Amino acid sequence: MVVLRDGMCPGLSEELVVALRAADITTGTWVLINLFTLVNLASRCGNALLAIRRVLLAQHTAFPVSGADLYEDLLSSTAILSTGNPSLDKLLDSGLYTGELTELAGGPGSGKTQVCFGVAVNISYQLKQSVIYVDSTGGLSASRLLQMLQAKSCNIEEQMEALQRIQVFPVFDIFSLLGCLHHFRCVGLQQASAGGGSVKAVIVDSVSAVISPILGGKQNEGMSMMTQVAGLLKTIAKDFNVAVLVTNTVTRDGNGQLKAGLGQTWSHVPRIRILLQRLERPGSTCSSVRTATLAKSSRQPCHLKEEFDLQCWGRSEEQLYGMSGKRKHTEPS
Amino acid sequence: KMQRDISSYAIAPSVKVKLLNAGFLSAADLCDLRPLQLSKEACISQEEAVEVLQAVRCESGQERAAAGRLTALELLGREQELGTIVTFCSALDMALGGGMPVGKTTEVCGAPGVGKTQLCIQLSVDAQIPVCFGGLGGKSLYIDTEGSFLVQRAVDLAQAAVDHCGLLAEDSEQQEALKGFTVETILSNLFLVRCHDYVELLAETYLLPDFLAQHPGVRLVVIDSIAFSFRHDFEDLSQRTRLLNGLAQRLIQMATNHNVAVILTNQMTTKVWSGQSKLVPALGESWGHAATQRLILHWEGTHRYCTSTPLHGWSLEGSLPATTIICPCQGFCLALDNVTSKIDIYQTFEKLPDFHMHWVRNSLGRPPTVIKITCRLL
Repeated sequence: MVVLRDGMCPGLSEELVVALRAADITTGTWVLINLFTLVNLASRCGNALLAIRRVLLAQHTAFPVSGADLYEDLLSSTAILSTGNPSLDKLLDSGLYTGELTELAGGPGSGKTQVCFGVAVNISYQLKQSVIYVDSTGGLSASRLLQMLQAKSCNIEEQMEALQRIQVFPVFDIFSLLGCLHHFRCVGLQQASAGGGSVKAVIVDSVSAVISPILGGKQNEGMSMMTQVAGLLKTIAKDFNVAVLVTNTVTRDGNGQLKAGLGQTWSHVPRIRILLQRLERPGSTCSSVRTATLAKSSRQPCHLKEEFDLQCWGRSEEQLYGMSGKRKHTEPS
Repeated sequence: KMQRDISSYAIAPSVKVKLLNAGFLSAADLCDLRPLQLSKEACISQEEAVEVLQAVRCESGQERAAAGRLTALELLGREQELGTIVTFCSALDMALGGGMPVGKTTEVCGAPGVGKTQLCIQLSVDAQIPVCFGGLGGKSLYIDTEGSFLVQRAVDLAQAAVDHCGLLAEDSEQQEALKGFTVETILSNLFLVRCHDYVELLAETYLLPDFLAQHPGVRLVVIDSIAFSFRHDFEDLSQRTRLLNGLAQRLIQMATNHNVAVILTNQMTTKVWSGQSKLVPALGESWGHAATQRLILHWEGTHRYCTSTPLHGWSLEGSLPATTIICPCQGFCLALDNVTSKIDIYQTFEKLPDFHMHWVRNSLGRPPTVIKITCRLL
C-alpha cells in the first residue's frame, strides 16, 4: 500500500501527514483498516481523515464482475492455436488456448526447445500472427527456424516475413526476466514486439534455467521471485489474450516417477502440463520420436499419451488445421 | 503503471528488508525521492540509497529489457556473421554444421583418453586462423582445472596449422596474413588460467566479463574441465546443482554478449538403474540442460564416434555421406545441397589421394556457394 505523502489526495496536507506520522501512521493501509482508532484521532485531525479514507477506498477497491459478463468475454476473446503437430493438438484438446499457461517438462534432449520452435513457426507462418520468444538458455537457433520454414514454403519472401514475426528477447538471469515481463505488462505486447501484427503467443524457454539457481539453500528470496514470475505470466496471458508456453526440467520423485521441476509451489502454476520423454527403443539411438504425456489438464483426463516425431515440423504437411476460435463471430480477433 | 515490486529489483537483500520495513513497497514510492531523503527514511547509507535509486530508475529498467530484443530474421543474420570455429576433423565439423558455434556453449563429454583436451587445444589454435583463410582471427582463453594443458602439444598443433595455411595461401592478402600467423603469435594470443578448485573457477567466471571487455578480440573460452572441480569434496549436492545452474547461465550470458564460443569438458560416470548400468555424463541430470549443445565422444573399436544433441538438421538431409570426402583430421569439410555439384566433386576428387577444401558458408536464403576449392598433394 502506498506511503502517505502530501498532495496524494485532496485534503491530505503536509501538516496532516506530519500529525499522522507522529501517531505512527505512515501508509494508506493503516488508514483503511483501523477505523476505530481513526475515530479517536478524528477529534484531533478533523473530518479530513474520514474524507481521505473514502478517497483511498474509491481509488483502490476492485470492481466485481458478473459471471455472465465474464463468460461472454471468454467466448469472444479466446482463441485456440494449433501447434502444427496433430498428436500434440490431440493432447492439448486441439491446441494452445489463449489466456492460459501451458508447460512442457522434459529431461535434456527430450525435445522441449524443438516443440517451442515448431509452435513459433506454425503461429508465425501458418496463422500469420506474431510470437514473442523469451530465450533464457541460448538454445534459439534462427537457422533451425529457417530450416523449418523452408520445408513449409519455397517462397523466400514468405520465409523472411514469418521470421520477422518472431521477436526474440534474450534474458539470462531472474532480474532480467522480471524486468522483461514487467516491460511487457507496462507497454503492452504490441508495442513490445513492434513487429506489427497481433501477438498471439509468448514462449519462455526455459523458466527453470533462471529460477533454479535462486531456489533453496540459505536464499530466502527465491520463492518470492518465482511467485512473481508466475503472477506476471498469468496476468500477461489473461490481460493480453495470449497463450503462454513455458518449458521446465524434470526430477524424479520418491517412486522414481518423472515429475516437473521447480517444486510444489510451481506445480500449481500452469493450467496444462505435458511431459516429454525419449522412447527407449533398442537399436535406434538417434531417433527423433518422442512421447508426450498429459500430466495436468483442466479439460481432459490425465495420463493420455501420444507419440510424435520431432521432425514433423521440418516436413510440409497437407493437413494442418489453422486457427480455430471458440467464439460466435467468424473473423479472427 | 509502475507498480513493480521493490523485491523484483537486483538490490542487496539486507537493503530490501530495510526498505520494506520503512513502507516502500513498489517502484512508484521511490520515484521522486532524493538519495538523502531515502537514506534518512529507510535508515540506509547514502551509497546504498544511490544504488537503490539507480536500480529502480523508472524508465531505464524498461528500456534495458527491450534493448536486447531482435527479430528472428536479425538473429539469423547475426548467427551467420558470427561463424564457427573448425575442429580440423571433417566428420566432426560436418556433424556440428561447420564447427563449434560462436555465441553458444558447447559441452564435450567423454571417457578418459578419448581426446577432449586435445580437441580443446586444437580449438584454441583454430580460433586464431586468419579471416581470409575462413577462420575467425581471434584470441583464445583456456581455463585449466586439471593441469592437463601441455605447451609442447600446443606448439605442435600451432606449427601444423601454420603449415596447413601456408600450403593454402595463394593471393597476396593471404600471404600478408600468413606473416602475422606464426607459432609465436599463436602462443601469445592464447591466454592460460589455472584454477585449482571450484571456488577459484567460480571466481574466474565472475571476472570473465571484465576480461572479455578488456580483450575484445577473444573468440573462444575453454573450460577444461568443469567436472573435475565439482566432483570432489562436495557434500551438499543441492548446493552443487544451484552453483552449476548459476554458472551455466553466466556462461551463456557471456557467450551471447561478447560473441565468444564457450567450450566445456565433462567427464563420464556410471549410472546404475533397474539392474543395468550405463555410461552417462557426470554432474547430474540437471546439468544436461546447461549447455546449448552437447557432444558425447566414445570409442567403438578403433574409431572415435561422436553423438550430438540436439540433432543438427543440416547433416540429415542435404549433406554428403561422411565416408566419401574425408581426409581424416586434416582438412575442412565440404557440404553442398546442390545435387549436380555433388556429382562433379565426386568425379574430380576420386582420382586424388589427398585434398584440401575450404568450408562453405551458407548465405541467407540463397543456395550455398563454394568459396574455394583447392586440391593439393601432401
